[in-house]
Formats: sequence, structure tokens, C-alpha cells
Amino acid sequence: MKKIPLILSTILACALSAQAKLNVVATLPDFGSLAREIGGDKINLVVLAKATEDPHFVDARPSFVVSLRNADLLIDGGAELELGWLPPLLQNARDPKIEIGKPGRVQASQGIRLMNVPANVTRAAGDVHALGNPHFTVDPIIAKAIAQHIAQSFSALDPANAAFYEANYKKFEATINAKLQEWGAAMSPFKGQHVVAYHDSWPYFAHRFGVNIDIFLEPKPGIPPSPSHLTEVIAQVKAQKVKAIIVEPFHDRRIAEKVASATGAKVVEFSQFPGGLPGTDNYVKLIDTLVSRLAAALK
Amino acid sequence: MKKMILMTLAIFPLTTGLAQEVTPVSASSPAPKVSNSTPAAAADVEALRQQVQSLTETVKALQQQVKDQQAALEKANLTGESGLPQNPEPSPIAAAEGSPAPGASAPPRFPTEDTSVVASATAPAVSGTPVPGGFPTTDTSVVTSAPETISSTGVGASLTQPITIGGGRNYMNISFDGLFALAYSSAKDLDHIEVGDHDPQQRGFNARNIELALDGAVDPYFEGFANIVFKLDNDNQTDVEVEEAFMQTTSLPFNLQLKAGQFFAAFGRLNPTHPHTWDFVDTSLVNGLFLGPDGLRGVGAQTSWTLPLPWYSQLIFASQNGRGSTGFSFRNPGDDGMFFDRITTDREARGLQDFVWIPRWENSVDLSPTQVVLAGVSGAFGSNETGANSRTQIYGVDFLYKWKSSHAEGGFPFVKWQTEFMYRRFEAGRGANESFPVAETFHDWGLYSQVLWGFKKGWVAGIRGDYVDMQDSKFTDDLDRQSRWRISANLTWYPTEFSKIRLQYNQDSLEENFFLSGRQVESVFLQWEFILGSHGAHKF
Repeated sequence: MKKIPLILSTILACALSAQAKLNVVATLPDFGSLAREIGGDKINLVVLAKATEDPHFVDARPSFVVSLRNADLLIDGGAELELGWLPPLLQNARDPKIEIGKPGRVQASQGIRLMNVPANVTRAAGDVHALGNPHFTVDPIIAKAIAQHIAQSFSALDPANAAFYEANYKKFEATINAKLQEWGAAMSPFKGQHVVAYHDSWPYFAHRFGVNIDIFLEPKPGIPPSPSHLTEVIAQVKAQKVKAIIVEPFHDRRIAEKVASATGAKVVEFSQFPGGLPGTDNYVKLIDTLVSRLAAALK
Repeated sequence: MKKMILMTLAIFPLTTGLAQEVTPVSASSPAPKVSNSTPAAAADVEALRQQVQSLTETVKALQQQVKDQQAALEKANLTGESGLPQNPEPSPIAAAEGSPAPGASAPPRFPTEDTSVVASATAPAVSGTPVPGGFPTTDTSVVTSAPETISSTGVGASLTQPITIGGGRNYMNISFDGLFALAYSSAKDLDHIEVGDHDPQQRGFNARNIELALDGAVDPYFEGFANIVFKLDNDNQTDVEVEEAFMQTTSLPFNLQLKAGQFFAAFGRLNPTHPHTWDFVDTSLVNGLFLGPDGLRGVGAQTSWTLPLPWYSQLIFASQNGRGSTGFSFRNPGDDGMFFDRITTDREARGLQDFVWIPRWENSVDLSPTQVVLAGVSGAFGSNETGANSRTQIYGVDFLYKWKSSHAEGGFPFVKWQTEFMYRRFEAGRGANESFPVAETFHDWGLYSQVLWGFKKGWVAGIRGDYVDMQDSKFTDDLDRQSRWRISANLTWYPTEFSKIRLQYNQDSLEENFFLSGRQVESVFLQWEFILGSHGAHKF
């Protein structure tokens, strides 16, 4: 019984200390990782989607409503990747601080030129994103822009720590600028090579590093691979001497392996999200891993 | 330790910037103090002064470099030369950190900027937070236009912005849903065996739910929803139902929300949902027989409040007229003016006691990153039409457990277990003008429990058990008062989230009572669905 006041005061202390920090919610782990780079220990961060699950289909869990309700700032993609689950969460969260247009809302796609914007929108083409391909954070130059956006928003909401956020941004920028030399050098021998991917999540990565990730196991975005389509893919892989097939943690690896064994290409596990692969707990480590894995497979 | 380094990094540009102005002052004021101490200290001060001066010069040189770069970049932007990524000079930070002097045989650099992807400054300049001196120039110099925001992910939040459909802009989401079934049953009266109005009602083809759904932001304060349902009866005549049409607030304080119009009561899990989201072809027995063939819905108002607790907890309280067949157990005049064999008193509301009052409390916690539990209790209280002062109370308990793989693709694989239990206390009076011989009070209860297993992307197998216990009566021979159970099994294929094909088998057993004999019924349904239009978001 005597412990109760102690527990209560601990809870109170936690609540008070929590108040001092910015409550940040990121829809996806890549945005979460950038927020952590900028916010360090000055923010409380909740990331909704798991690094290993399909970001198109995340359950709109009630607990997410609680996180959003308490959020000072929400970082989302703004390019319809979270269209299937974020709207009902926001509707239930009723948090005016994170409405679009408020300083508490960072839409990562703001200021980013999205690739592959479809001229005509029809679902006959599969799960096509009307605003363009939303898997853009894997381009480090875009990641810098998002990080800067985040830093500016953090500073606006928490001016007392503005210098801290700016310094973290500058550090991140310098790291990326330096790392880009490394990554660029590692990928430069493979310019123009074709790579197979399960889903079209990699145009930004491909654009940055000069490879062509343009053959897909899915016949159309979101449509599961069919035997006839795989036969075509195998022919293409053989004709273009493709050496690597990219799969993400939530994809059926067996399908990629089938194509690999028929062609001699290697299956490479990739992830859009920090944490999706072992040893990739932050953004730089993720790109490090992606570049070294792909370079090794393309050798 | 890390923090210290970061802080030093943050403070460094500030202090070096300040040093410029401070130098002359420091020459006069702190000097006397120092002169009182040892000559060695004075020498130290001199050395420091020189260091500061040289630092100041470095900073000046760097600032000039930055300015030059900025000017060059601006020029490049104006003349439109920056179409292709360029190799910028090493950033001031890199230079300050001791890299070789710029211009000295630098190796070919990988571009670190790309104006073809980063369209403009990522956000409007943040006011009130002056950027410390020496901030990297490259991004701020490419501000060409105000950033353009197009988004529809925040449908609920971007209230004054047009809502996008397929990349265009629109003020309203529109979707159209067609749900059809081919039915076989060993019973000829399938419309009695199936208790829901959107369930298959005859052997052969059925089109019981063709739905037009509209939603959007009304203004910065409200959002609006409408579901208009068209259904074909067994003679292929079209009926139209305004299933839902309501507005709700978006910006009330204290996590409150008000809703008003025609809407489904938030009673349990199944009642507030539309048929195309159901996991089975038909509604559950207990929902159809207690809350009505069309579910408990009506014109009314509702307030809901998410409690300020660490877990999800919401209180909902609604009031509806509860009149007609959509207020089934309440002020329902019944078919041909009869309900439970009584001639009903179809009267106007006498007071608040004649409305249906519907409270609900629901809670949810995450058991683990892959497991969620949601549990709720609901009630519906009001009067009914079988007597002068006869009343109805329905209580409900519901439970949902869901597991979804941490490596889910397209939301698969998952396991979902959902159960609802209801108890109804129905005071059946003596009818209009006391025409029925007795007044009775029925204590009825029922439940369903279902497990859905999404075993592969697009594929779901389901099994459901239903049971309803209707209190036996020696006076009331109504067909709807027969206790019964049902077992259902189904398999659904979702080619995409916009279409589905489902095969379901039902085994029904109606139990013998004082008036009715028992019987067994077998049914098989093939259901198919298409959805056009805006992307429906999936509520949990």
C-alpha cells in the first residue's frame, strides 16, 4: 500500500517529463528514422507501421488513435501510400495540431518531385498511385530534403531546441554528402545494369545510383505474380543477363527464388525502411546495406 | 557524451560569429583584471587574442565563400543552367572541419544535390528561429516557388482543401459498390431463413446491396457522409434506402465529436458496418433478429468522447427515433400493423422515454506488436409498440482479437476472432386497445462467434457459429420467435481490395417450439462484389 504514492509520483513525473518533449508520430519507419536523426532525445517518437510489413496495408489500430491524439507533430508521406489506413485514424484522433497546413504536420512529399505520375488513372493498371510513386525516401538527396523539412518544423514547434535540431540536420546533411561519395563510387561500376524487383518501390534509388530497376515480378503493382508473367520475366532476365532480384521482407521470397534458380540471378533482400533488414537501425546504415548488398550481387 | 558533442557543434557557429563583434570589447574591459594577475596569464590572453583573430579571419573568409557560392547558384538558377545535377563545392562545414583547401585537385564528386527531385525548399521559412550563421546554402538557394501541397491522405484533416480522386481534385469522394449473390437453399422460404435485409432472399440471383457512397469535408467544421442503397426485391423491383446520411464535427475540443442525421447505431461490431465489409454473405442471426433486418439505425444524434487514458477508450452515446423497421425491437409498427402477434400502437413520441437511447463503451489494447484486442459493451433502451407502456432493453458485449504477421503483405496473413453476445428483455403488452389476451416479458439471448483466417495474400477462410434462444411462449406463434442455430463456412478470394468472390455454406437448424416444428436447412451462396471510385479506408 505504501508503494502507491511512489508509483503515482513516478507516473506523474513521467507524464511531466513527457510533456517537455515534442510528441512526434511518423506513419512509416523511414520518416521515423529521419525524425530521430533530427530530434535525438528531445522528442518522443512513435512509428505506426512496422519496418517489415507492407506499408500499403497497415491496420488502423485503435492504439494508433491514442498516439495521434497526443501528437504535437505528424510526419506522413503525403503521396497516398498510407491512403488505406491513415484517414480513419485521423478522423478518430480529432487532433487539430496535426491537420494539413498546421506547423504540426510534415508531409514528406512536399517539395519533392514525384516520379512516374500516371497520365491516366485507371485501376486496370493495378494499384497505381495517382500522385506518383510514393517510395521516395530511399534517395538520400530526397532524405536530406525531408530531414530539413522535419528540422524546420521541430524548430518552429520547439524554438528552445532550435539550435539542436539545426545542428543535427547539418550533421545529417554532412554525413549524407560524404556518404554519397562512397555509395556513388560503390555503384558506379554497375551503371545501366538491369535489376528485377518484386514491386515497383525503387525508381528513386535506381535514379540516384544509375541502375535500371525496371523488371517486376508483379505483373502490375499490387497484383500477385502469375505463372505466365513469371515466364516472361525469366526470359527477360536471361536476355538482359540480370544478376539481382530485389525482394522486400513482406514479399514471398520463394517466387523470387524460383526465378533466380531458373536464371542464375541472385535474390537480394532489400527494405525501404530502416529496421527492415538486420543491422539497419538508422537511415545511413540502411542505404549502406542496400548499396553493399546490391553491389555484391551485381559483381 | 554524444549530446555534449552535438551541443558544441550547435554552439560553435554562433560563438565564432559573435567573436567578430566581441574582439574590440575584450581588448579593453577584461584586460585590467588580467593585468593584476601573473604575466604568464597576460601572455596567455595575448595568445588567445591572436587565435581569436585568426579564427575571425577564417570565418570571414568562409562567409565570403558562402556568399560567392550563393550568388553563383542564384545566377545558375536564374539562367536555368541547373537542369542537371551539379557538383557543388565542398560545404563550409566540411571545409571548416579540416578538409583540403577547395580547388586543390578534388576527385570527381558524386552529386549531393538534385534539383530534379527536390522541387523547392521543403517548407516555408520558419519564422522566429533565425538560422545560425554558416547554414548550408544549397537548399535555401533553390527556393523557386511556394511548395505545392497535393494530398488526400488527410481526408479527415484537410478540411478546406478539395479531396482528390485519382490525382484530380474534387470536393467529394464518390464510390459505388455492387454486391450480388447466387443462392441455393433446401428451404423455399429463404427470405425467412436469412434474417438480414441485404442477405440473399430467394433461390437464384440476388442483388440486395448496390450502394452509392459519398463523403467529404463540408467546411472547416463538419464532414458529411451518405450511403444510398438500391436493392432489387424478389420481383426485380428497385427499392431505395437512405441507409446513412449524416454530418459530424471535426474540430470540437476535448476529443469530443458530434454526429447528426440518419446513421447506424454504434451497437457492437457488426451493426454499424455496411454489408460489403462483412466477412460473411449474411448478417448474424442475433443481429438480424434483435437489432432488425436492416440493423439498428435511424434519425438521431450522437456524441462520442475518447477518454484521456493511455489506451484507446471511447464512450459513445446516441439517441434515435427508433421508429419503423429500422428500430426493429423498438417503435416498430411491424408488418401489416402486427408485431409478435400484437396489433401495434403506432403513435407519436410522448416524451424522451420513447426515443431509443444507445450507449457504448469500447476499449482496445495492443497485446503485442502483432496482436490487438478490442472489447465493448453496448445498450439500447426504449419503448415498443406492443402495449401502452411496454419497453425494450437490449444489452450487448463484443470482443475482437486480431493477429497480423509482422511481415504482412497486402494485410496477409492474419487471424481475426470476433464474438458478440446480446440479451434482449422485451415487454410484449396486450397490443392496441388491449386486444391481445396476455402481456408477456420475453428474455431472449443470442450470440455469434467467427474466426477468419487470411492464409495467403487475397485469400480468407472463415467459420462462424450462431445461436439465438427465444423464450418459448404458449401465446405467441410469431415465426421470428423460434430458437435456432447456424454453422457457416466460407472461402473468399479478393483479387484486389476492390473486388471479391466468396463461396459460403450454411447449415441452419430451427428448433421446435409450442407452435412451430423443428427443421434443418442447408444453403450455398456464391457472392461477388465490385467497388468503383475512391479508395475506401479500412476501419479497424
